[in-house]
Amino acid sequence: MPDLNEIIHQTVRLRIMAALVTLAPDEEVEFTYLRDLLEVTDGNLGAHLRKLEEAEYINITKLFVERKPRTFVSATKKGRRVFEEHVEALETILKGSETRK
Amino acid sequence: MNISPAEAEEALGAIQVIANKTREAISKSGAYAFLIVWGVVWLLGFLSSHFISNNISGYIWLGLDIFGGLASAVIGRRMNLRVRSPSSTASGKRIAWFWLLLFLFCAAAIGVSWPVDTKQMAMFIILFVMVGWMAMGLLLRFASIGWGLAITGLALIGYFFLPDIFYLWMAILGGGGMIALGLYIRNRW
Repeated sequence: MPDLNEIIHQTVRLRIMAALVTLAPDEEVEFTYLRDLLEVTDGNLGAHLRKLEEAEYINITKLFVERKPRTFVSATKKGRRVFEEHVEALETILKGSETRK
Repeated sequence: MNISPAEAEEALGAIQVIANKTREAISKSGAYAFLIVWGVVWLLGFLSSHFISNNISGYIWLGLDIFGGLASAVIGRRMNLRVRSPSSTASGKRIAWFWLLLFLFCAAAIGVSWPVDTKQMAMFIILFVMVGWMAMGLLLRFASIGWGLAITGLALIGYFFLPDIFYLWMAILGGGGMIALGLYIRNRW
């Protein structure tokens, strides 16, 4: 049975990873778009992204587009695999409780 | 790390909600804007064809088409600034080429059929645009071929059975329909 991932399980980080793994593997999302989608503040999102980046679950790319700095975020292969395992672990817990009923 | 089944269910629910929200946000981010822009172009263009002389209306159509093309380019660029990838950039270029070629084929078809009156020319353009729309619907996820077929059907009904109010018919049902569909996608999703 896969284990729950403590880094991913935090509510905001879980939602960040859910949004990023929904994108195609070669897609990356702009920081402000992700912020609006998740309805969090810049500071809150930035802090959680740093935590996920440290764990190598996401990639953060900073670019200049039309002379403006923009930050793009994407899930890494490792991040996608770990997220899948986390979801499997959640489903196992849920199924286990349903079996016992 | 241990959590209760209720917490697991809550977490799975949150994942599902955000995954759906992401898909919808990406799907609707461009589709509704394209529909509203081209709906406005059709609404104003066909109203000008109905109420104003052909010469002036031709210039209005030209201006509206330039506006629609520029607005579409801006919308496409903005979409690429939100979610970007090498494959979507390549797809965007292929889609732009597709519409350019479709436009040239439409012009060629009109040239081959010449002389045509303004209603026939409008009908040619509508049919080619609807072929393009349905191709987008089949290849991408944001457009619906059902709406394309419905607008084509309404255009043909107007052309064959209501020639006196054909332009008005297309302004309200074609242009108005596209605006309504765009607003529906924006608000419903």
